[in-house]
Amino acid sequence: MTDLSETLPASAASARPSEAPARPAWRPSTGLLCALPMLLLLGLGFLAPLLIVAVYSFMPRGTFSLTSAPTFENYVDIVAQNFHISFLWSIWLALLTTVILMAVCWPLAVSIKKLSPSRALLLTVLIVAPLFVAENIRLQGWSLFLDRAGLLDGGLKATVGLSTGSLTANVPVVVFGMVYIYLPFMLFPMMLGLANVPPAALEAAQDLGASRWQQFRDIELPLAAPGLVIGALLVFVISLGAFSESKFLGKGVIVTVSEDIESAFTFGQNWPRGSALSVLVIVLAGAAAFFGLRRLDLDSMLGRK
Amino acid sequence: MERRSLADRLRSAWLWIVVVVLYLPLVAVGLASLSESRFFLFPIRKYSLKWYEESFASLQIRDALWTSVALAAVVGVIATVLAVFGALAYARHDWTGKGWYQQIVLAPIFFPQSVLGLALQLWFNTLGLDMTWHASVFAHLVWIAPIVTMVVAIQAYGYDASVEEAARDLGATRWMVFKDVTFPLLWPGVFSGLLFAVLLSWGNFPLSYFTSGADVTVPEWLYGKMIGGYTPMVPALGFLSVVAGGLVLAVGLAIQARLSRQP
Amino acid sequence: MPQPILERSPILELRGVDKIFGDFAAVERVDLSIAEGEFFTIVGPSGSGKTTLIRMLVGMDAPTRGEILLRGQRINETPANKRPFCMVFQSLALFPHMTVGENVAYSLKCRGIGKKERRERATECLALAHLPASYYDRAVTKCSGGEKQRVALARALAYDPEVLFFDEPLSALDYRLRKTLEKELKDIQRETGKTFIYITHSLEEAMVMSDRIGVMRDGRLAQVGSPREVYDRPRTRFVSEFFGEVNAFPVTAKDGRLWCEPLAMAFDPPPDAPAGFKSGALIVRPEHLHFDPAAAEPIRGEVFNEYLLGSRVQYQVRAGGTTLLVEGMGGQPPATREVALSFSPADSLLFAE
Repeated sequence: MTDLSETLPASAASARPSEAPARPAWRPSTGLLCALPMLLLLGLGFLAPLLIVAVYSFMPRGTFSLTSAPTFENYVDIVAQNFHISFLWSIWLALLTTVILMAVCWPLAVSIKKLSPSRALLLTVLIVAPLFVAENIRLQGWSLFLDRAGLLDGGLKATVGLSTGSLTANVPVVVFGMVYIYLPFMLFPMMLGLANVPPAALEAAQDLGASRWQQFRDIELPLAAPGLVIGALLVFVISLGAFSESKFLGKGVIVTVSEDIESAFTFGQNWPRGSALSVLVIVLAGAAAFFGLRRLDLDSMLGRK
Repeated sequence: MERRSLADRLRSAWLWIVVVVLYLPLVAVGLASLSESRFFLFPIRKYSLKWYEESFASLQIRDALWTSVALAAVVGVIATVLAVFGALAYARHDWTGKGWYQQIVLAPIFFPQSVLGLALQLWFNTLGLDMTWHASVFAHLVWIAPIVTMVVAIQAYGYDASVEEAARDLGATRWMVFKDVTFPLLWPGVFSGLLFAVLLSWGNFPLSYFTSGADVTVPEWLYGKMIGGYTPMVPALGFLSVVAGGLVLAVGLAIQARLSRQP
Repeated sequence: MPQPILERSPILELRGVDKIFGDFAAVERVDLSIAEGEFFTIVGPSGSGKTTLIRMLVGMDAPTRGEILLRGQRINETPANKRPFCMVFQSLALFPHMTVGENVAYSLKCRGIGKKERRERATECLALAHLPASYYDRAVTKCSGGEKQRVALARALAYDPEVLFFDEPLSALDYRLRKTLEKELKDIQRETGKTFIYITHSLEEAMVMSDRIGVMRDGRLAQVGSPREVYDRPRTRFVSEFFGEVNAFPVTAKDGRLWCEPLAMAFDPPPDAPAGFKSGALIVRPEHLHFDPAAAEPIRGEVFNEYLLGSRVQYQVRAGGTTLLVEGMGGQPPATREVALSFSPADSLLFAE
């Protein structure tokens, strides 16, 4: 028999079933213990480097140490020396890629959802697999395909006598390359989102007289929205750092912010400027991810029982 | 058979078109590697395997292959171990600070890799560390361990947590619960995670590029040649790298399928 | 007195309807006619094809062969959103991102009805389903199981369909709530005068609510009739056993009587026994077997178990190597473990095999 003074705390503890029962107060929770190695890794390998970048961005031009007095001159330089152009290009390309991928991936996600489980798995594997090939190689492949005398041009010339010339070295091909590279990052979150739409809800809507468009607008889209938001954020943020596409397919027709950052660190030998540009990217990416993800309940999205 | 609507048929045609387009560049790489001429012209006049022979003969390429293999293996193992515990904290336990932890784990995934690579380079420099492929192991982990954590977390969400309580109720210690109950139940997710980690590390370029110093991985070697001047060894090595990744994936999936068939 | 069901004009008719998946016939040669304003229940074990049947009626699946008629008009090709039907799903399929009111008013929104009128009509339907108007702005995810049930019903009523379909919506609820909702459903059906088609695997549920019952087995309708008919005069052994546990005596015809080998005794055949009967089963429900020490030809056995079933008591009696079930209203338990049992031939059912 328990007396009353014991009953109250016991019932409070039982409201959180997954905690170890009655452990001594000084021991850290199992959750924290499990999280510790990961937190250490991300503290040392993610937060600390970002902090260093932020500090460097306030050092005078061309310094390689952190001991000088802080200054804003690097941020002023970005605009004064027109480095913001590459930054704007990157934002524009990232937005374009995100929007195009939403349109490209939605029908894909819908039709994968309708496949039998084994076929859906096959397609998932087929779509994941290219992710494991370095993007350089895949972009080189497109270059071989689209260049003058490449697979497309040469193939057409040999068969029907038409010539496309070189289809690389322009802005659309850069966007195409980005859409190609980042497709899985939009598709998989979208599939996760669509999995949260119960088929019965769509049937019920249809039964209640909703047209296809009404079913899409009122049921499918709002219920799949969390997955869509994650996909859009992921693509936007990652493609903000893209530079291989403009290098290998654009052949230098535009310069992205990542290229500017890289050259500031290498040829330019101006770490503070590279850092200041990085900080802009980090702030933009961080803000997008933070505000986007804060609203989502990740526990229920990933299928917590 | 069910009647399929026009929209359904258009959608599934689109699906197959996209899958074909996904593989087009790999086909182009494969073809280019088989052309004998120094510069790629299509249609190919003369096929040959000589660029593969030259690739195998190159000491540089052997070094790059060795570095890539070692990197992928080490990253795969460490990332998976970290991720198993990371995923338990993510999905299985309720603890104060979990909300923050979930956001922090996602942060490196929602981040441009090239910028992360540069930031790590700056950080290692500040610490005065030598940059070798060991530094790249750490860099890869920062990005890959969170991804594997998510893969394992999905598995951890999917199982009934009361079995752990039952085990504890039967007198198992924390460690025994983990060893005898939690880990076996998580294993399919853990294996997928390992596969992901190895393959993502194998194919990664930006993080290696900024952190490996004088060591060169396969994607880095390819990048160098692509910038410095085309040689048919680029598609040859590129295609080998694709085939190697494909083999690992196929073997991994076969093992996975056998694992999931056993009770 | 309402007009007898079969004299009313049919609203829905099925003629030779088949549904074949690959080489499996989920529904086979179903002919059925449902009257306007009827409460019709399709009962069957899981896998008997009842859900497939209802999905074809609603328009979510197309029949492989046969015709579905609505007031004499073929509607095979009419899609679900164009049929004047509405379904309450087994999973309820409430839209989780909408409030109670938005759920109920959704069909009105689809029809382009203005906000104010939508709210009025949805509130009426909530009232019909015994939900207060204050629930209109509540999140549907915050409702209890029974409340969700009512929301789903109100949503279907708001569509103002000519036929309402129910796919086992009550199966997940606890016993008492289920009983309450069964009665309410029957009341609503009577109040609105709409045709209700209900499917369930629980015969008890079917008996309470229905005007007529159709018993399904292996994709076919084994019997259609009023609850009384189906209970008292089941046409097959399957239907008779579907109502619960029964005693089945294997019998063969012998000198105008029925010889039961395991008990080594003969019974009189029921008055409506099929002519030319050779061998089969004689079915006696547990409540029709009586303890009867004075019987002329008793079945002798030994009570070895008794269970209390609420108001009734069930006894298990071992007789001639088989176990018999006897149900009584309690009160008069047998005095000894050795018992004599009898039944009236009129209460028995004979099925040839």
